[in-house]
Amino acid sequence: MNKQQAVEKGGDALIQKKICLLGASSVGKTSLVKQFVEGIFSEKYLTTIGVKIDRKTLSIANEQINLLLWDMEGNDSYNVFQEKYLRGAAGYIIVVDQTRTSSLLEGIDIHTLARQVTDCPAILAINKSDLLATWHLDDSEYEAYQDLFDLQFLTSAKTGNNVEQMFSSLAELLLKREKNDLTT
Amino acid sequence: MPTDAATDHADSEQQLEKVRTLLLGKENSRITKSIQKDARSLVADVITEALHDRQKKDNSVNKVLQPFVEESVKQSVAHNSEQLVSSLYPLVGSLVRKSVAAFLSDFMEKTNQLLENSLTIKGLKWRFKARQSGVSYAQYAASQTFVYRVEHVFLIHRETGLLLNTVALEHESKSNADIVSAMLTAINDFVGDSFLSDQEGQKEQLQSVSTDNFNLLIKPGPSALVVAAVSGNPPQSISNQLQLTLENIHSLYFDELNRFNGDNKDFNSADNLLRDCLLSEQKEIVAKQKKTPWLAWLIVFLVVIYVGYQSFNWFKSAQLHEKIMQLDSQPGIIIKQLKIKQLDDITLDVLRDPDALNIHDWLKDNALNPAQLTITERNYHSLDQQILQQRAQRIVSAYPNISASWKNHSLMLTGTIDLIKTEQLRNTLAIAGFTEGENLNTEQLNLASNTPSSTHKEIKQQLFEQLVGRIASIQLNFSVASENITPQMQSSLQRLYLYIQQLTPIAKELNIDFGLLILGSSDNTGNKSTNNILSMKRANNTAEILQRKGIAKDRMYVVGLGQIDIKNISSTARSVMFNVIYNSHN
Repeated sequence: MNKQQAVEKGGDALIQKKICLLGASSVGKTSLVKQFVEGIFSEKYLTTIGVKIDRKTLSIANEQINLLLWDMEGNDSYNVFQEKYLRGAAGYIIVVDQTRTSSLLEGIDIHTLARQVTDCPAILAINKSDLLATWHLDDSEYEAYQDLFDLQFLTSAKTGNNVEQMFSSLAELLLKREKNDLTT
Repeated sequence: MPTDAATDHADSEQQLEKVRTLLLGKENSRITKSIQKDARSLVADVITEALHDRQKKDNSVNKVLQPFVEESVKQSVAHNSEQLVSSLYPLVGSLVRKSVAAFLSDFMEKTNQLLENSLTIKGLKWRFKARQSGVSYAQYAASQTFVYRVEHVFLIHRETGLLLNTVALEHESKSNADIVSAMLTAINDFVGDSFLSDQEGQKEQLQSVSTDNFNLLIKPGPSALVVAAVSGNPPQSISNQLQLTLENIHSLYFDELNRFNGDNKDFNSADNLLRDCLLSEQKEIVAKQKKTPWLAWLIVFLVVIYVGYQSFNWFKSAQLHEKIMQLDSQPGIIIKQLKIKQLDDITLDVLRDPDALNIHDWLKDNALNPAQLTITERNYHSLDQQILQQRAQRIVSAYPNISASWKNHSLMLTGTIDLIKTEQLRNTLAIAGFTEGENLNTEQLNLASNTPSSTHKEIKQQLFEQLVGRIASIQLNFSVASENITPQMQSSLQRLYLYIQQLTPIAKELNIDFGLLILGSSDNTGNKSTNNILSMKRANNTAEILQRKGIAKDRMYVVGLGQIDIKNISSTARSVMFNVIYNSHN
């Protein structure tokens, strides 16, 4: 057989973006990805080890954008934040758990560390919106965080609330930034 | 002084620079300008040679040109197809032939491989092992057939871990290539961070990942990685090729790699470079290629022979069937059933008239071997015209004085014969299906005058009575109010006359006197006296004819019966009946 014919052409011409999900242990990073990629929520608790990678293709304003989602291991006092995986990311999402105040503090710490290596867009995802919140952002806090993050979302990996919107908004933001880069 | 010297030196440097600027212009602008002016002719002088040299050096010209050529051919096809078609036209015929031949040989080769692999012990062993190790048979066979084979080549962006391009051998799934490349980058990062850096502060790099029968070869470059997924044992040559490709890509796509923002469109044209890495080496290639696919040919040959044999058989038996069925159209033969199981196993069930032709003879005449047939034959009496003729011929041949002829499907007997033999002949013919007046005519039969006196008296008596009976059975039927003698009646009367003629000598010998009673009758419609007259007229007319034939008037007694008052008869009794009245003197 002809060699040329046997070769399958790979790599469709579409834009790819690397997105990282960061946050304390068991705030729902993996569940968010699962909900986004497969549209389902797994009741099983899964502690991610190191990093888990998934992919989802979105269509935004006639452009295909392929998100490669790097779901990072949850960071706590035993696990150090692994900045190496952030390299080359087009954006990242800090996930916090609205039922645990500590996860917000840890999330802010991670964000501070991440800012040292990259200045790409960052999103704050306040997850588990289907459960009762144990803390609320007061106005001053809210404003303070608004400056820290490009976007904020109240999400639920269980009900799917705001999950799709969050990733779509991020993708739109990335495309918009790219166009601005080109024009300036 | 050293300082003076230094100042001098700097001074002269400065002056020299001034001169240089005057001569060459600012930043050599004069030279560049003058060169630019002639750039076109300068490049034109050497471009061919330069391309040649560069191509010779590292084959890179081809790869750069290929996308342009492809693009322009594509445009030609889209906008100028007419011209392309006319220039390609002379080639098409031979191309088609070639591709058909290639397809056939490829097909035979594949069939043979399949047969060999599935029918041999080796094939079964491979199948078993493939199942055991949980891979598909084709994959296992490939791993056994190839020393090594590059299945996939990935081009990965170093910084982001995003897939720039990938090529794969055959139609394997490429859908996960982007995840694989991201995972690989993550693993590479993990390895780089987890182990000690070397002396120069460079991080450790993953060079290869190996499993039992799969290898990932990784060639890291400053901006991109080339990764090859290889089955089997990869030789050094793959590594060299990967290195070469990586260098080419870095030199050709330097800018694109540096400003990569997720859009891999720019790297589509790297296909050709990556394809160079799809290397493979087959085991025992020479032995395999020289082998003629005997087994496949043998099977094809056997199938052809079997199909040919079957259709030939079918054709033959259909022919035979048709041939034997012709027997059915022979007179006196009916085929009840014909079964052809095989060419020499035929059952034939027939009905045959004994006077019809012999079936065995017919078979022989038609070049068929009767030994091939099992014939069940049962006899019957056929009324086929031909058989009747044959039968009559056979019967009549026993009487040398009589000759038979056919007239309007009726057997005409002529000749002279004595009375007893006449009766015998008449009886035999009756059994054979001949009826006087229908298909038998004995009017031309003359009686031999000399009845042999030796004939026994009782036989004569019997004969006399038979004739009397036969005469009494004759009846003429008239239409309404008619007394005319029709031609049909004439022939009945001729018969009657013959009987009387035969009767006369016998009566004489037996010493019997006899007379003929002629009884006329009429139906019951109309006047009774008119009917009496009508019945009388019918009897008289009849008697007149008989008299004209030669029967003496005094031997006939004519009576008009008038109406016959019998229920169911009276309305149609328009007839003349005969009877013989006789008395014996002994």
